Amino acid sequence: MTFPEYLQSRRDLLLAQTLEHATIVLTSIALATVIGVLLAVATYRSPRARGIVTAIAAAILTIPSFALLGLLITPLGLGYVPAMVALTLYALLPIIRNTVVGLTEIDPALTEAARGIGMGRLRSLATVEIPLAWPVILAGIRVSTQMTMGIAAIAAYVGGPGLGNQIFSGLANLGGVNSLNQALVGTVGVVVLAVVVDLALGLLGVLTRTGRPRRSAGYVRPRPLRRASTAATVATSSPTPGGP
Amino acid sequence: MTENVMIDLQQVSKFYRGQKAPAVENVSMTIRRGEIVVLVGPSGCGKTTTMKMINRLIEPSSGLIRLDGSDVTSLDGNELRRRVGYVIQQVGLFPHMTVATNVGLVPRMLGWDRRRTEARVDELLDLVGLDPAQYRNRLPRQLSGGQQQRVGVARALAADPPVMLMDEPFGATDPLTRDRLQNEFLRLQEKLRKTIVFVTHDFDEAIKMGTRIAVLGERSKIRQFDTPERLLANPADSTVAQFIGAGASLKRLNLRRMNEIPWEDAATVQVGHSPASALRRLDETGESAVLTVDPDGRPLRWVTPRDLEPGQDSLDGVGTTATVVEPQATLHDALDAILASSCGATVVVDERGRYQGVVTIDDLMRAISEMRASERANDQPLAETPARRSAAGPTVARQARRS
Repeated sequence: MTFPEYLQSRRDLLLAQTLEHATIVLTSIALATVIGVLLAVATYRSPRARGIVTAIAAAILTIPSFALLGLLITPLGLGYVPAMVALTLYALLPIIRNTVVGLTEIDPALTEAARGIGMGRLRSLATVEIPLAWPVILAGIRVSTQMTMGIAAIAAYVGGPGLGNQIFSGLANLGGVNSLNQALVGTVGVVVLAVVVDLALGLLGVLTRTGRPRRSAGYVRPRPLRRASTAATVATSSPTPGGP
Repeated sequence: MTENVMIDLQQVSKFYRGQKAPAVENVSMTIRRGEIVVLVGPSGCGKTTTMKMINRLIEPSSGLIRLDGSDVTSLDGNELRRRVGYVIQQVGLFPHMTVATNVGLVPRMLGWDRRRTEARVDELLDLVGLDPAQYRNRLPRQLSGGQQQRVGVARALAADPPVMLMDEPFGATDPLTRDRLQNEFLRLQEKLRKTIVFVTHDFDEAIKMGTRIAVLGERSKIRQFDTPERLLANPADSTVAQFIGAGASLKRLNLRRMNEIPWEDAATVQVGHSPASALRRLDETGESAVLTVDPDGRPLRWVTPRDLEPGQDSLDGVGTTATVVEPQATLHDALDAILASSCGATVVVDERGRYQGVVTIDDLMRAISEMRASERANDQPLAETPARRSAAGPTVARQARRS
């Protein structure tokens, strides 16, 4: 069977697995965003506390994914849950790091102005600081998403959902009829999905870009270079995720 | 006496952990309703710290601070700060919010409804000289530095606080813009009569803005707290004298404003008129030069008979450029403008830049000698009233013009 024929014959299954893959990644990222941003907000003002939190998140990222998934079988069993937990843990570091960078790089004059006009801590965070740090936080989310896309494929090892199942069954009966097609469709599927989701997040970034003039009338100065680019480098230069 | 007092500091100190000497030590000071008190001193002397303790951006370590009679430490810090306008050098407009959102922040925190907030925002933008329709929806980065600080002042005024704290508000602008902002702010203050604590390290600014000036030394120790006139005339010690710096008599020109001295009327002619009519105006009035104005009444150039060559059919671009000052400008500004214009006079204009009158170098000299004379006569200084300038200024000027 050629590759297109294989795609054609397993269309429904492949679509379902792609959807599952996307779902588990996006759920994990959403969870990691909530946890990561909260941790960063709670610790960014104290160099010690934020050092500890990022160190722990970095340590988690260095655990090989096979090992972490295997370890999670004991408390959580097989299936969806351990996969999601593992992915969430892996996604934390870039999000925490970028949130810390985003928040600490805000001009102190702005936080002082917020306090000076009578904003409390929470209000200042919600209306000033997080919106200003958002592009940097989003850059972290994008890095995490790309990373977990690949790791999610390995989650099939503990009975998780997604395109990893294609790869694993392909590798399991190597030399079999459709083994190459399976491995190929799994791999290509993950890559394509990663690109699509990244584009979607990029679009989200454009849509949530704060401070666009409401009316295009008038003169708009060229935007300054986004800090996001430096922050993304920070995030990607972190230890690479443990391979299988 | 107590009802006249707006801010009262008693024995206020601030200690920081790990520092032996206090940042601020035993400062006591009373600030009356409606006056501008300028805290001036070298960098790091604790003037900003002293100011920030009033709205508890910095918590005082000891002592008592009363704002309008109530102890500030008994109030909720955030609510206190919503009732005290706060302007900083870096402006601190939130870059992701429009001008209107920035200005409306405090009213919204105070629970005003949308319509009331919007109406207030427009009123304030108008007040600080920005057309609401044009600027309401702009972002801070689409404004010039001066415009940003105007919005910063509008934001601080949003909930009509009785007290404003200003930390070197005009320090980051270029000298020309700073001058205009200062004049505009003084004009605003004539209407608003806020109680203002103003921090600066620029003594000239202190003289121009202050009803009273507190010269601070290390640890915010008050070296002298007095009106600008008396500070310049009798510095309390050599440190204060040093801080005032050289040229005290030149600086004294900052004590009087254009609206406190009489102006003259100049012969004016619309720029669209013919050179012949300009010559006729000169004949009628007996002046040596005629001032051309544009259709809106804004002064353009001084034209003397010598500038008019025979056969010339337009006044456009003829003569030497006229310099202008606003009624809030000091005599110092006026002297500068007169020297710059090279024809011995400067034109007084209103806020829209329209012609109001003329002050010549002779008028200025007369005003200066009067100042000297009255200072000698009043060696025992007058009991100062808090709103010294705002009350006296315009009336004097109006009378002078009528005469």
